[in-house]
Amino acid sequence: MLLSMDREILQIIGVTLRMSFFSTVISCLIGMPLGILITSTSFKGKRTVRKLINTLMGLPPVVAGLIVYMLFSKNGIFGSMGLLFTVEVMVIAQCLLITPVVISLTGSVCSVNGKNLLENARGLAFGKGKTVRLFLLQNRASLVSVVLTAFGRSIAEVGAVSIVGGNIQWKTRVMTTAIMLETNKGNFTLALALGLVLLSISFIVNVFASLLSEKEGEE
Amino acid sequence: MIEIKNLRKAYGGRTVLDIEELHIKKGECVVLTGHNGSGKSTLLKILAGTEKKSEGSVITRGQIYYLPQQSLPFNKSVRKNLLFCLEGKRKEKNEKCNELLDAFELRHLENKNAGTLSGGECQRLALARVLCRRADIILLDEPSSAADSKGRALINSLIKKYCERTGCTLVMTTHTGEYPEIKGLRIIGLCDGITVSKKEADGNDA
Repeated sequence: MLLSMDREILQIIGVTLRMSFFSTVISCLIGMPLGILITSTSFKGKRTVRKLINTLMGLPPVVAGLIVYMLFSKNGIFGSMGLLFTVEVMVIAQCLLITPVVISLTGSVCSVNGKNLLENARGLAFGKGKTVRLFLLQNRASLVSVVLTAFGRSIAEVGAVSIVGGNIQWKTRVMTTAIMLETNKGNFTLALALGLVLLSISFIVNVFASLLSEKEGEE
Repeated sequence: MIEIKNLRKAYGGRTVLDIEELHIKKGECVVLTGHNGSGKSTLLKILAGTEKKSEGSVITRGQIYYLPQQSLPFNKSVRKNLLFCLEGKRKEKNEKCNELLDAFELRHLENKNAGTLSGGECQRLALARVLCRRADIILLDEPSSAADSKGRALINSLIKKYCERTGCTLVMTTHTGEYPEIKGLRIIGLCDGITVSKKEADGNDA
């Protein structure tokens, strides 16, 4: 089944990649600017915000799944959107889990050389856009690691996606939920093989990201 | 033009800068001297707006460019570092970049990543990034501290040329006792954050 890469497995890989890609992109688009902003500016309640983000970093996936499930279930606030048991709602649940991680990790990157970078940027009278470009440029390698961590967390996640996605065949089944299902069925060989495919995907994404980072660094 | 009145900066309870009055005219060149921790860099940071003052008033007029003591080499080639700071059309930027590479003796390093430069080369690049545009006030914090004697002479001559060409106001710090030979240059000594001496570069007390 695995060697012949039958249609179902290809479909599962497709859904997994789509969900992981979009949740990573959305989390990074929200989390990175927030991480920079929180670290580089002073405001009232900054410590509380940081504590809240650190707490959210440890949010159990099943709890995130439950919250999103309640929000999007028939009687929930967003119930009318009819998104429950779709890939879209899986992406939303993943974003809830990953964004705090991205905010926190970006904040750590920013705090390492952020002050010096801001001083240099202000000294050269750079505007906000150019300062952000400079920040991305200076911390490219570290930020690639942040993206990879987000992607890694997304692709390996099982609790939240199984609650909000429902592990529906041909629709919301992803690699992790498929592995869980096969394990429950006692089909350990296939579960292990799927695990290997999952690891291979992670490896390929890592190699690609490293190559991209090194190539840009050689500029 | 820079006007300072009753400026005070304190970290915690410790006062690191306490200047009653200091007036720097438009086009004037000033060198701040003093030992480590005398408040030179803090004063420049306050003038540049990267550090907040505790008390007093600081009035500056015009576009300020500031070179901090810890200049950051951008993670790009030397050429791209300069292009990143230049403004205008691509052709103009390239022409200006070529001029700068030659003037700052960085031509042989143009394709090298700025992060791999030596301390002196890095300072020349950082200065080139600051002096590549027209400013009203230039603030330079020990711009040649990591350079050798030849590098220091080059940096001082480039600062002098820039000031004479643009007529900008210059405030720079040094603890090596070397500074650009600009006519009418004023030297201000700082000790524990207080201005202790003011004299013309030729030795006359002001």
